[in-house]
Amino acid sequence: MSILSDVVKELFGMFLADLRLAVGIFVLVGVVAFLLQGLHVASLIGAAVLVIGSLALLVEAAMRKARR
Amino acid sequence: MASTVEVVEAFTIVLAVATLRGWKAAGIGTLAALGVLAAIVLVFAPLLALVPLHGLQLVIGVLLLLFGLGWLHKAILRAAGVMALHDESAIFERERRAIGDEAARHETTADWIAGIAAFKAVLLEGLEVVFIVIAVGAAAGSLWPAAGGALAACLAVLALGALIRKPLARVPENALKFAVGIMLSSFGVFWTGEGLGVVWPGADLSLIGLVVIFAVAGLAASRLLAPNRLEVA
Repeated sequence: MSILSDVVKELFGMFLADLRLAVGIFVLVGVVAFLLQGLHVASLIGAAVLVIGSLALLVEAAMRKARR
Repeated sequence: MASTVEVVEAFTIVLAVATLRGWKAAGIGTLAALGVLAAIVLVFAPLLALVPLHGLQLVIGVLLLLFGLGWLHKAILRAAGVMALHDESAIFERERRAIGDEAARHETTADWIAGIAAFKAVLLEGLEVVFIVIAVGAAAGSLWPAAGGALAACLAVLALGALIRKPLARVPENALKFAVGIMLSSFGVFWTGEGLGVVWPGADLSLIGLVVIFAVAGLAASRLLAPNRLEVA
């Protein structure tokens, strides 16, 4: 039972250890999906938003942890 | 690379088990865990072939982003000196004491406890490798080469460790984690984009550009954060 709960904890930690980062990623993907599928913006703009958004989330997560 | 990092961490605990209760308990626990991990790959890999490619790329891309950005920002913090580096020698001593205490309390089942400790260590560290193998392999259509590479790295680290019989403290774990985090994040962005209908300039070659962008951003962030050194145990 302990092994099973440890496996569940490990899986949870792999993807959702930093909840704020995870929510940020879901929001970013939602925004890019809306831009591309809903507003039909150029593919390159969607790609740029995805790349810049991911970098912003990465730096924000690192800076937030460093401030603690 | 991902397999190397995770196996180094698992090997530290397997070695602690082996020095306390011998290689038989450690070996059985390790082999059992490798069997479970192989079974997970064999069960999930064929199922993924049934999912439409764009849907699969989107789901795997988002999972890789969650995993890769999480891994990369921790590597940045370690490189900046904000977070403590993994100390395999200290972990080895701690695990050795913990398994020894547990085994002393239940002397008749000491080998069993030691075997379970090795099993858990290899299983938990191996789950991340299995995810990377399935994710990268399935989305790129090269599952078996990815699985073969991970298995080869795993066997090489275990063989080296069994030969020198010391924790592999000199492996540059954080540099490897930094590199793996960069690659996972780049693949994550690439496949998320593909899944959403992005046409990347240069097609697959744009992955190289993404790797460069994440590497530059990661190194710059670690430099930027370096002066704010905080000790985290």
